[in-house]
Amino acid sequence: MDKQKARSTEMTRRGFLKMFGSLGLVGATATLAGCSKEPMGGKGWLPQQYQAASSYPSQVRGRVPIDPNNPSIMRDDEKCILCGQCLEVCEKVQTVFGHYELPVKDEVICVNCGQCTLWCPTAAITEKDDTARVLEAIEDPDTVVVVQTAPATRVGLGEEFGLPAGSWVEGKQVAALKKLGFDYVFDTNFSADLTIMEEGTELINRITKKSKAPLPQFTSCSPGWVKFCEYYYPDLLEHMSSAKSPQQMLGALIKTYFAKEKNIDPKKIFSVSIMPCTAKKFECSRPEMNDAGLHHGDETMRDVDAVLTVRELARMIKNKGIDLNKLPEEKYDQLMGTGSGAGLIFGATGGVMEAAVRTAYFVLTKQDVPEGLLNLKPVRGLEGVKEASLDIPGVGTLRIAVAHGLSNARKLMDEVRRGESPYHFIEIMCCPGGCISGGGQPRTALPPSNEVREKRIASLYAKDASYKLRLSHENPEILALYEKYLEHPISHLAHELLHTEYTSRGDKLTAKGSKLG
Amino acid sequence: MAATNTQSWSFRLTPTRVLLFILAGMAAAIALWRLIVGLGPTTNLNDQWPWGLWIGFDVLTGVALAGGGYSTALIVHILHINKFNEIGRSAMLTSMLGYLLVMAGLFLDIGQWFNFWRPFVSWGYHSVLFEVFWCVSLYTTIQVIEFGEILTERVAKPWHKFFRKIMPFLLIVGVLLPTMHQSSLGGLYLIEVGKLHPLWWSPFIPLFFLMSSFFVGPAMVAVETSLAGRAYNHQVDLKVLRGLAKIGGTLMVIYLALKAIDFSNRDAWQYVFAGGLESNMFLLETIGGVIIPLIILISPWGKTRSGLVTYGALTALGVVVNRLNVVITGMVNYYGPGYIPAWTEIVVSAGLVAGGILAYCFIVENFNILGHHEEHEAA
Amino acid sequence: MSKGVLVDLTKCIGCGSCTVACKLYNDNKFEKDSPAIGENPKLTDENWTIVTAKKTEKDGQPVWRYVKQQCLHCEHPACASACFAKAFQKTEEGPVIYYPHLCVGCRYCMLACPFDIPKYQWEKSFPLVTKCQMCSGKVAKGEAPACVSVCPTNVMTFGERDEILALAKKTIESDSKYVKHIYGEKEAGGTDWIYISDVPFEQLGFRTDVTTTPLPEYSHSFLKYTPYVIVGWGSLLTGMYLYTKRRNKIAQEEKKDVHL
Ligand code: SF4
Ligand code: SF4
Ligand code: SF4
Ligand code: SF4
Ligand code: SF4
Repeated sequence: MDKQKARSTEMTRRGFLKMFGSLGLVGATATLAGCSKEPMGGKGWLPQQYQAASSYPSQVRGRVPIDPNNPSIMRDDEKCILCGQCLEVCEKVQTVFGHYELPVKDEVICVNCGQCTLWCPTAAITEKDDTARVLEAIEDPDTVVVVQTAPATRVGLGEEFGLPAGSWVEGKQVAALKKLGFDYVFDTNFSADLTIMEEGTELINRITKKSKAPLPQFTSCSPGWVKFCEYYYPDLLEHMSSAKSPQQMLGALIKTYFAKEKNIDPKKIFSVSIMPCTAKKFECSRPEMNDAGLHHGDETMRDVDAVLTVRELARMIKNKGIDLNKLPEEKYDQLMGTGSGAGLIFGATGGVMEAAVRTAYFVLTKQDVPEGLLNLKPVRGLEGVKEASLDIPGVGTLRIAVAHGLSNARKLMDEVRRGESPYHFIEIMCCPGGCISGGGQPRTALPPSNEVREKRIASLYAKDASYKLRLSHENPEILALYEKYLEHPISHLAHELLHTEYTSRGDKLTAKGSKLG
Repeated sequence: MAATNTQSWSFRLTPTRVLLFILAGMAAAIALWRLIVGLGPTTNLNDQWPWGLWIGFDVLTGVALAGGGYSTALIVHILHINKFNEIGRSAMLTSMLGYLLVMAGLFLDIGQWFNFWRPFVSWGYHSVLFEVFWCVSLYTTIQVIEFGEILTERVAKPWHKFFRKIMPFLLIVGVLLPTMHQSSLGGLYLIEVGKLHPLWWSPFIPLFFLMSSFFVGPAMVAVETSLAGRAYNHQVDLKVLRGLAKIGGTLMVIYLALKAIDFSNRDAWQYVFAGGLESNMFLLETIGGVIIPLIILISPWGKTRSGLVTYGALTALGVVVNRLNVVITGMVNYYGPGYIPAWTEIVVSAGLVAGGILAYCFIVENFNILGHHEEHEAA
Repeated sequence: MSKGVLVDLTKCIGCGSCTVACKLYNDNKFEKDSPAIGENPKLTDENWTIVTAKKTEKDGQPVWRYVKQQCLHCEHPACASACFAKAFQKTEEGPVIYYPHLCVGCRYCMLACPFDIPKYQWEKSFPLVTKCQMCSGKVAKGEAPACVSVCPTNVMTFGERDEILALAKKTIESDSKYVKHIYGEKEAGGTDWIYISDVPFEQLGFRTDVTTTPLPEYSHSFLKYTPYVIVGWGSLLTGMYLYTKRRNKIAQEEKKDVHL
């Protein structure tokens, strides 16, 4: 009504004539409608999509359910063409959809991996956009906005700016972040190294029976995988390393160690992470991810305040009119800006395992890491399940396995569940190829192709090979951190800030083919 | 007083009439706007409340109030109770104007107004609305033709004979049709079973609508003749008014009794004093609009002109409230609140009434309406 | 025989594919402020079907159920019986369809439908009533409606009404989780779309006080008297007219007053 009023008062002579013009049109259509004796309703699938209205669309298959409150992904119904690609990846590649009994319980089952955002041909499914919150924090002069960038982002971001798959843009990414107004730019590679220290120590404790936790130990740095395990293998959660993911470790340290070193009120810090992953948005919102807050006695404080995917970062850069290609290379800020090659290869499937083995070898044997462990071929590459046995002098044979993509994870998990798993350590990455092909990476190939994955992986390994610093335990900033703040791996403080617990989500679904839940 | 055949057309402009003209003019402008842009921008109707003030007031109430026409026609022309003759013409005029306004209101309310004729050719005879539609449109036509008799006293005089000839037929059909559509307007709500509040929904709702439309006739006549009487210095004999009111009153007693029986049958007494919007509105309609008028009628006051006018006004208001209760109050419980008439809807409704009053004044001032005593010569 | 669809609410995951299919098939618009899925979606002129997320309880445990809603294609459609221009018609195959060119726009159908299904194009100059047409074109060819065919979990089964009714009966009898009620078997005199569920229907927002008498019968119980009223009342009026007139004439001739 009000709109109408406003419109009528604004009526100009031209508008008036126009109105009568359109009235004529309305009248004409009305007459036409009046002539047609057809009943209401469609005559076939939407023509623009399927060329000609007909009953036989080539691909109309339905789609995955998405909770409107999903912290990671959302969908624009208007763009969806029901092609079923999301179903395909969710059900076949990630074995999430269709692997629980109906009726559902009280949750939309989703591990937040975001693979569907990579498969959706129309980009109907996207990451949940958090850029506005981040921009707001940047614009607030009182807030210190700290950002970290995950290993895989630096071989993905370039693709959003026309560079070939796998282009190395680490320095440009740092420059872009500074230009966007982030106050400190840290590297998640640093906390990947830290993860190796903590998780590696934990593994050794398990092997040497210092800890009662069972073997094999599972890596815990992939939040999609963690949630998957909580849903489908809650009985195996004891196997999960208690070490937090690198993102959450760095998040906790930014509001404690960094705040202390720089003498900044942690309440004024807004901590952002740039991730190749949509599940990280879920991870940072997990209720228990507030250890820095608890440390300061404020449980509402989050360790990481916002997660942006690489695609969101690219959007922010483009919206600011920044040309990534023209930026100079810049360096990460000191204190937590140095990462080893081991930390870097976290971004590829098998990378965590390789990094862990390098350090474990050194810790267990106190010997230099042999060349073979600096290029651990059996766990590299895109084969779904990879395994290796390593002889560690004086200790024995270390059996390891690596899987990426949750359908592959199931193979290893079922073995563990049956008590037939021969391994000591299992690395699982939720997304096929690892983080380099995470749900937050550029949509360079649709659906993601191994060719693109391989290029991104190759880029990481090439950089690792070129680094002098290739072992986590040699990272000087890590050593400084333990010396100045944490004392030693799994120290009391390290346990408080860097380790976590898991929740069984077995009661949220009835897994198919199981009597559990 | 009323016109004689040789006078020129006359129409006085008083300040009240200017006001009425303004109101009618605004209504016309809004109506035009509504016909162009549709219902959404111009009314507060919505998917939850597809029917609102226009149907509730302009149509349902309008038809009921215009019912004075057929009840007097029945009394005067069919039963030939001559003492009521003198109010015959004015009652039927009000009724005709009422129906024309109802048609106008309906026309504004239907979405595809260019398609209004469709039910004449595409017969949805399962629908109660079909009966309403046919009866109301035929009846309006018949009333216009009936008015032809008055009209041809002054213009197109050669036709007057013809009109007098067909009058008996018109009169009979003119009572038959309203009997049907007054009840079928209630019948429309039969299908609202479970939606319309049990205070109003009843398998007898057609009968209640019929009866109330009948007894509101004498009530309206009382109000209207006193208004017109004051304006045109023409007082209808008190005896006539009282006689009519007695007929109406008798019907009201039967109406109340039937309602009581119906309530007992349907176990609906529990809602009457349940408090809340519905029961309050129901009590208002029943006590204020039926019981109090009845008491007035029995009391000595009912023998005076002012008493009868009060009786008439209350009864008429009671029927207005009843119709609005059916359309709006009785649906609130089911649909939830979500409709308050827009100012445009109110202005159009008021403007229609204003237009009706103006037309009434014009016709009364130019045709032989108020002073008419029909003598029944051989037809 | 009329076709129908059995909706097994226990299988619905709330993906909303059906709502999108309906729009893709019928070329209906997506409206940002009026989504077809979520906790509070609304049927509108563009949303012929919606899926409502109901966060409810079963055996004391919180459960989410999703309810797909559209026209139920009543066996004795109130909307069609209410339309005085025959714009709504029940086809032989089951769908209750709407002919825009016949519609006058009185909206009595909207009031009449016991499930409040028909919606109106309020913002248009010449608005039409809209509702699910059960993809009548597809059904006429023996194909399942668009929404039925895209459902990834096969919530809906399309078939002859008596066959799906038998299937529904068998399903609820053979599986104890179901409530022993087939919604639409009797409601409003029977509908062609029927529902089964493991959570009582009233918890899911279904109208459970719907009469089991076909709604058109309410109107019919009244309309059936019309011919009698016309003939009876008509002749009575004529009789009275002639009688009283004659009596008055005689009275007049006798120069007497008549008192009644
Ligand atoms: S994010 Fe992953 S788990 Fe969730 S719907 Fe998409 S593919 Fe499935
Ligand atoms: S992949 Fe995208 S377009 Fe295809 S069905 Fe899924 S959401 Fe719709
Ligand atoms: S559900 Fe309503 S709109 Fe559909 S056929 Fe029945 S009465 Fe008509
Ligand atoms: S049957 Fe057809 S029109 Fe009806 S809801 Fe399904 S897709 Fe829409
Ligand atoms: S397509 Fe099937 S599962 Fe998805 S919302 Fe519709 S009925 Fe439910």
